[in-house]
Amino acid sequence: MSDHHDDDHHDDDHHRPEPVSPVEARARALEALLEDKGFLQPGFVDAVVSTYENDIGPMNGARVVARAWVDPAYRTRLLADGTAAIAELGFGGPEGRHLVVVENTPGVHNVVVCTLCSCYPWAVLGLPPTWYKSPPYRARMVREPRLLLREMGLDLPESVEIRVWDSSAEIRYMVLPERPAGSGGQSEDELARLVSRDAMIGTARP
Amino acid sequence: MSIRVGADVSAMTGEAAPPRRNGELVFEAPWQGRAFGMAVGAVERLGLEWSAFQQRLIAAIAAQPEAPYYDCWVAALEQLLLDHGVIQREELDTVQRAARALLP
Repeated sequence: MSDHHDDDHHDDDHHRPEPVSPVEARARALEALLEDKGFLQPGFVDAVVSTYENDIGPMNGARVVARAWVDPAYRTRLLADGTAAIAELGFGGPEGRHLVVVENTPGVHNVVVCTLCSCYPWAVLGLPPTWYKSPPYRARMVREPRLLLREMGLDLPESVEIRVWDSSAEIRYMVLPERPAGSGGQSEDELARLVSRDAMIGTARP
Repeated sequence: MSIRVGADVSAMTGEAAPPRRNGELVFEAPWQGRAFGMAVGAVERLGLEWSAFQQRLIAAIAAQPEAPYYDCWVAALEQLLLDHGVIQREELDTVQRAARALLP
């Protein structure tokens, strides 16, 4: 907690911490209570945050996509049972269960949303970006996907059918993008670098 | 079962890029990351499925559709801890009152 007082503002304004919002104060109090009770070990929360910020992220999904692009048998397994196929590469855990992978084709573009909250396949994509959790994205991607995708920078021809997949507590979706034309000679590692997080959500193409 | 933050995840290093390289920051403020970590820890300590938290988050968002996302997150976490007897309503009220008293 800050111990700043009104009399220190003259030389210290820009060192002053951001004001604490009520919900932040609430979260801090809760964390202190859980540590006092010994329910959470000190340092545990830091470790979780660090892991999710640094070690789990869309590069996992990019490796899955690249493998599917170079290995047709893996691609077949991935589309049949996403959870089992990502486990082959060592990925899984909470929110990785019941992963369904949907494949883009020249005539079909898939995009993922969670209308109820923020269900998202952490195991392959890391934590969701802020906009994924926003009410406008959650509402508009269902109502007017073509327009919203265009606003997000993906202008699809009218001839391409858009399929919107609503994630739920039971099922998480990930998009398998089309392999870019002209990427024929590239290695699996090089291909993985072409795959962005947004391409696996379906709001971009590689 | 558990979150496996340590085991297979820690092996994924090297060329693995941090998630923020692909886009914006995951959390808008550090306390949001801590609220996230608390929920992960609570689910693990209680031996629950993640859906136990997720269901309460869905309910919290439905109850306050206009509220910021992490306000709902904290409310869902409190509810989970209350429902499983980790904390009691009275002591939660007490620490929250104290926290509010420190606000500007």
